[in-house]
Amino acid sequence: MNFTNMMDYHHFPIYAVMVLFLGAFVTMVCGTRPSKNPNNPAGLRAWIALCATGVSLLLLVLLIKPVMLGGETIAYWMGSRGIAGGYAIGIALEVDALSLFFALLIATAVFVSAIYSIRYMVHDDCVPQYYVLYCLLAGGVLGLVLSGDIFNMFVMVEILTFAAVALTAFRTRVYGALEAAFKYLVVGCMGSSAILTGVILLYAQYHTLNLAQLASLIPGSMNNATKLAFAFLYIGFSTKAFIVPFHPLAADAHGAAPASISVLISGVLTKSGIYGIIRLTWFLFQTMELGAMQFMLVFIGSVSMFVCVTMALAQHDFKRLLAYHSISQIGYVLTAVGLSTALGVSAGLYHAMNHTLFKGLLFLAAGAVLHETGTTDLGKLGGLSKKMPHTTVLFLIGAFSISGVPPFNGFASKWLIYQAAYQRAVETNNIGFLAAAVVALVTSTLTLASFVKVTQSVFFGQLPPEYENVKEVPFGMRLAMGILAVLCVLTGIFPNTVMSVLTEPAARAVASVGEYIMAMGFKATVPTPEVSFAHVGVWTPVNWLLILCIALLALTVAALAGRYDQVSASQGENVETKYQLFYGGEQNVYSQVGGGDLFWGFKHNWRHYFDFMHDLHSGVVNDYALWAVVALALAIMYMMIAL
Amino acid sequence: MIQFNYIAAFFLICLGFYTIVTKYNLVKTVIGMSVMDYGVNLLIISIGYTPGGTAPIFTAGELTQASYFVDPIPQALTLTSIVIGACVTAMSMSLIIRLHESYGTLDTREIRRLRG
Repeated sequence: MNFTNMMDYHHFPIYAVMVLFLGAFVTMVCGTRPSKNPNNPAGLRAWIALCATGVSLLLLVLLIKPVMLGGETIAYWMGSRGIAGGYAIGIALEVDALSLFFALLIATAVFVSAIYSIRYMVHDDCVPQYYVLYCLLAGGVLGLVLSGDIFNMFVMVEILTFAAVALTAFRTRVYGALEAAFKYLVVGCMGSSAILTGVILLYAQYHTLNLAQLASLIPGSMNNATKLAFAFLYIGFSTKAFIVPFHPLAADAHGAAPASISVLISGVLTKSGIYGIIRLTWFLFQTMELGAMQFMLVFIGSVSMFVCVTMALAQHDFKRLLAYHSISQIGYVLTAVGLSTALGVSAGLYHAMNHTLFKGLLFLAAGAVLHETGTTDLGKLGGLSKKMPHTTVLFLIGAFSISGVPPFNGFASKWLIYQAAYQRAVETNNIGFLAAAVVALVTSTLTLASFVKVTQSVFFGQLPPEYENVKEVPFGMRLAMGILAVLCVLTGIFPNTVMSVLTEPAARAVASVGEYIMAMGFKATVPTPEVSFAHVGVWTPVNWLLILCIALLALTVAALAGRYDQVSASQGENVETKYQLFYGGEQNVYSQVGGGDLFWGFKHNWRHYFDFMHDLHSGVVNDYALWAVVALALAIMYMMIAL
Repeated sequence: MIQFNYIAAFFLICLGFYTIVTKYNLVKTVIGMSVMDYGVNLLIISIGYTPGGTAPIFTAGELTQASYFVDPIPQALTLTSIVIGACVTAMSMSLIIRLHESYGTLDTREIRRLRG
């Protein structure tokens, strides 16, 4: 094989995966001597991991031109063993715009998190082993989304689950890390076994493991065995996406893992689950035409959205709160995908991308706070904006993005999701889609409320005396956060470009299953539909900013001119000054409004709901396993009746 | 009778689920996970079985239309699955050792610092 042949872009997907696994291997054998540099204890290994992730990202960026813009689907047979006698006998990689879209997200998050890790992991022991697991995790997720073979997908799922479990337990001294890892392992393995069972049931029916061939054979020949397989596969990928009822695991795992790994678990692992569900419903079984499937995805998405955002409101730990928000945002993606329109899928993918960016940024900011102060307890922190101004600004960008404040990216995608849901409701005359849009709006408000709380109790207010000597984090960590912040702003200001280059090709790929099948060399009976992305319009950031400014100005003028009555605060005897309506902090020298204090009225009124939810998330692994079994049973019943 | 294999496979999977859900000892949870894995392995190997088939080993030219052999792919899949199952057991056991060190118990009802 000569060099020009090797540099053909058809080989790039396999290179992108292999460079990460190779990186894992090389980090294991190289750099065994401990580094003398205190700022980088892993020495050479950190740089190997950084290079591997960087090369992988570069290779995938080079694929944007042919796949995203050119509309090509890369079908790659490993070892040139393709089709014999009408059956796929080789292992295939198939990269369409959807795969590439997710691969780009993953590679970006992995690369940025690798930059961050170098300085962030300074205080840990066994840092060299960290990079081995890091590369394995990245390679597993990337392999999953680029694979064209369903058994290969299962193997990659197992690789990423192992690496994620090991990395969750990496800081064994962190409160609850081991416990979180064990719970994740138990339910994660039930999910993996479910995927394997589904795969083998499909193999028994169709004697092939190739995704494209399965997609050409399954529709039209559904029987009870394939429905059973569908339920098993769906539950399997749900555990990887952590959607309801698997969200407690996400909260445990994200909270206990190092922040650089939380970025991967939240931004990358959940996406691999969503990718699996999209492949399953749109490609393999092509069931998204059915109202029952749309109902299921929209319903589970809406429930995930709402339950997780309310769970987040009740949290006292910075990272655990972010973890619940993470699943809440995944609910948006699932709802949008379940709408089953081109605009819905496009909006959902857009939100998936934004979620990776802003949630990555938020977790990195939480990690920065942990790195400097040694705690993520919202009740103990406060006033860090004076000590860590850059981190504060970067965190605020992330917080604005996730809350959907214009001109940041969260607004652009949420706006599209509302539009898609509304459009769908009008088209079908179905009030359910409208309800989903309302739930999405309410969730967005609660998200904002919850981030007001975090911002107030971590970065603003009074600085606790023990954090007087806190410094800004090192440049390497700020650089990683800066990259994500810039991406958050850019994808928010140029939604049209993002949509035409990234999400619309991916959404078109989702709609055209026939091309996916034919690219692999199989016969497709599905016609390629006309895809329309018509919608009211993306927002224009400048106008919205002007409106926001005018509203703010009007409010200020009204407040100044009206001189509204100052309501006197209730002067109860046991009330601490900080609970009074207006307080200046004169009576107590230190009076910080902590994480538990804000919205206490709201939480008090809703206490039955919050108590119920708190008792439900009992933390006993048997309960979570029971939820998984019940979910599997319900899924099997639902599929048998609905499909 | 190949049907018994299928029944036994799903019985083992359900037994695994039952063990994980009802047993409060971490080691028993891991045993449940293993039983579940064995059930899946039995299912895979049963699917590849053809009654009276020979071993799927042929050299070039030997293979004809009349060749009758068991499906080799599920056997390869089972190998992968067994390896993964062994890894799961090893990893969960090592986690259990560390959990016992820091919590002093193996009861799942007491290992619940993270909740709510």
